[in-house]
Amino acid sequence: MFNSPTSQTASNESGSAIFTRKLHSLVDLQCDRTWFEELQNRLTRGGPWDDWTLYQLTMEAEQAKRIESFEQLLSLRSLPSFEPMPHQISTARKVVHEMGGRAILADEVGLGKTIEAGLILKEYIVRGLAKRILILVPASLVLQWVRELNQKFGIAAVAQKKEHTWGYDVVVASIDTAKREPHRDIVLGTDYDLIIIDEAHKLKNKKTTNYQFANQLRKKYCLLLTATPIQNDLDELYNLITLLKPGQLGGQSEFAANFVVDKRLPKNEDQLQEALSTVMIRNRRGDGGIHFTKRFVKNIPIELSADEKALYDAVTGFVRERYDESGGDMSSMLSLVTLQREVCSSRDAVFLTLVNLFKKTAEDSPLRPKIWELVDKIKNIKANTKAEKAMELVKEFGEKVIIFTEYRATQEYLLQFFRAQNMVAVPYRGGMNRGKKDWMMDLFRGRAQVLIATEAGGEGINLQFCHHMINFDLPWNPMRVEQRIGRVHRLGQTEDVKIYNLCTLGTIEEHIVNLLHEKINLFELVIGELDHILERFENGEGTLEQKLARVLIEAGNDDALKEKLSELGSSLSRIRDEVQTGSSAYAAAPDLLVKLDSLGESVEVRP
Amino acid sequence: MNEKQVHKFINRYLDATECQILEKSPAHFTVKLSPHADRELTNRPYYWSFVDRVNAEPETMTFLFVTDKQKYDAALEATATPPAEQGAEAAGSPEAAANAALGRSLGFVHGSLAAPARIPREDLYFGARKLDQVFDAAKAKGSFVYLFQEPDKRSSNPFSSTPYTAWLGVNLRVEFACDRKREEIHSFGISLATGTCLEHFHERLLTMKLSPRLPANVHITKNGISFNKALTIAEQTLEKKLRSYDYSWAADATARLEEELERINGYYEPLLQNALDENKSAVEEQFTQRQAEIRWQYEPRVTVSAINCGIFHLEGID
Repeated sequence: MFNSPTSQTASNESGSAIFTRKLHSLVDLQCDRTWFEELQNRLTRGGPWDDWTLYQLTMEAEQAKRIESFEQLLSLRSLPSFEPMPHQISTARKVVHEMGGRAILADEVGLGKTIEAGLILKEYIVRGLAKRILILVPASLVLQWVRELNQKFGIAAVAQKKEHTWGYDVVVASIDTAKREPHRDIVLGTDYDLIIIDEAHKLKNKKTTNYQFANQLRKKYCLLLTATPIQNDLDELYNLITLLKPGQLGGQSEFAANFVVDKRLPKNEDQLQEALSTVMIRNRRGDGGIHFTKRFVKNIPIELSADEKALYDAVTGFVRERYDESGGDMSSMLSLVTLQREVCSSRDAVFLTLVNLFKKTAEDSPLRPKIWELVDKIKNIKANTKAEKAMELVKEFGEKVIIFTEYRATQEYLLQFFRAQNMVAVPYRGGMNRGKKDWMMDLFRGRAQVLIATEAGGEGINLQFCHHMINFDLPWNPMRVEQRIGRVHRLGQTEDVKIYNLCTLGTIEEHIVNLLHEKINLFELVIGELDHILERFENGEGTLEQKLARVLIEAGNDDALKEKLSELGSSLSRIRDEVQTGSSAYAAAPDLLVKLDSLGESVEVRP
Repeated sequence: MNEKQVHKFINRYLDATECQILEKSPAHFTVKLSPHADRELTNRPYYWSFVDRVNAEPETMTFLFVTDKQKYDAALEATATPPAEQGAEAAGSPEAAANAALGRSLGFVHGSLAAPARIPREDLYFGARKLDQVFDAAKAKGSFVYLFQEPDKRSSNPFSSTPYTAWLGVNLRVEFACDRKREEIHSFGISLATGTCLEHFHERLLTMKLSPRLPANVHITKNGISFNKALTIAEQTLEKKLRSYDYSWAADATARLEEELERINGYYEPLLQNALDENKSAVEEQFTQRQAEIRWQYEPRVTVSAINCGIFHLEGID
């Protein structure tokens, strides 16, 4: 009842108990008298009266929480569990004290934009300036944000799940959910003290519904997080800033006249920088210090046994036949491509899919006998060459190894295979609940030599204590490969990281490994680069994964396949070269159209 | 608040709410909460509404409150190492072998079945959510008091009656806010007999012994002024003080506010002029919204609200 009004709207509502008078030509004094009314109530009723000790404690708590000055960064005194880096602190300070709480945080990847946003958020909460807070992030990052805010900052953030979740003070949601009914009305009807939007470069186009939604939000403070505020087009920057501070770069026409020569070429850069300096902070990685330990990548070629090869060829033939029959209908084919990929992993994986396929076909279908033929071929296979090779590698390292596979069935098979050979291995997969995941991590850290994982994404699996990694099979989505590597190769890893790709010769797998390794140079990219390469490559026309499947199916024979894949490959390497533009493999994020060096500091990051 | 202060604070809170401290060190408390503290601190509204409805005997929770994490963890580690060694030795003993055999035939027995009920651990440091909850809990039952000063023992003449004066005491928080904020805390005491107004009243109270019961041989002086008058005196004293402050921060905030409003005008006015008729109202609405946001963000204001208050009967006529 004594809670001071945190916003003016609130004070207007509580009405009668608040008395306002002029204190200074610019300032009103508002006295909240609810306490006095309640005291009189209790006097007339003869109580109830509170405890003297608790009265004193209340006062002590308030004295401890008191905000002594405008300037300090108070959030720092309530974060015992971690220490922010100096550039993060100075960024938070600048946003709160000089920028009025509206800013684009545009640090290069890996410097901790989330931490900076968390510090600012905490600061406003501690100062009682923000209570209702909305954090909009890509769906895949929602839980990560919630965990980070809870663990690092002690902020009770809640992931938006149901309609009623919007009632919480600090809500993390995906923008795609928030912009849809019934959420839309609730969100647009709320006055948010602070809104944070992560990956804000996705809002660069003002014609999109996401942008228009973001522009309608009602907010006091606002943070936009992006590592690439201006990549393709100067208008992108203009649109982002319009979300924060409309008019900061003048009207659209003034902006064009003052700062733009061509869509991709700025003019009056000094003035532009000056105008930007009040809304944007960009810290960069320093050129000195080594940021990460090294990565060594080795492809392990594997010759399939005669039985395995026979199965692979049979499955390939089966898929081609289906394609010819379908008359070029792609949609039904995509699942069949999976068969081919699975053969390269384990017979167990392909068996499971075949059984499911069998169940789905009609009883009198001519397909059924054909599927049984394949199953017969599976029965012939007595050993898994890949698994044997993996075992050999694990024994050779004599150290902890993480093995990634795409398929549950392969994972089960490997667990069994390793157990049979007295090698302790533990599983890890997405479907496990949090507790079980933590348990598996502990087992791997403490007792098991091998972790066999089907999931690399998601939060919380940090395996810096392990520096050997085997890709038993490779996902076709390079981001997932990157995620796998990121589990092991990250800040805190003290050893060089060794990555082994098991690669069955004469199969589609060989092509994929070649594409990812040679053409994208995936294994040596800096965190964040891959994002940009893929964004440009896909360009809204379907993912690399989809394109690969199409190429695979449409190519009639091996030569045609090779040719098409090499086309894909060279367009990828071209984009990669563009993105890297002359910088070394460990260079910072890609070049922006405008040099933003004066908008932040240079930070040496050491593991 | 440093670790020591937190520790002392928690100790006094637990005492005041009659919680049962099972174990304590300078770095922690293991405590079985009193029903009152349990209601405030465990976030179990359903449980409590159940207890209240069926009139059941409540089972309160036990917590491990760690007030100095570093010290506590260090102590824990120091004591944990020897038992681990013992464990290794014991593994060779017949008893352990028997247990292992039992485990094989009966399957895995989850530790929590055998172990006593789990005691949740809360690290209480300044900024921790649980500590904030304790702060709130203290406030919920520490807001309005009605107290009497306990007389010194020596003046206990059974035939003389000591005159007491009733005071309205209030602790006020003053917030100076724009897009930034600072705060002050002022404590006033107003004699209801004479209207005398004292500053730093809370500090003065801390030097006295206070009790909720009226002591013997005491008479309370009749109030000379009304409560409303006392309130006015407190507010006016504060206002007079605040008027003498430096308001350059407010001037700066106003200047920023004007600048921001101008910037927005510069953006929306041409936009409005060029807007098609069907869009005009939407643009206008957004323009108004942006202006309101800027005012909300920057407008300087001073607000006064009470932290807590009470009626205090103190010795003497003032």
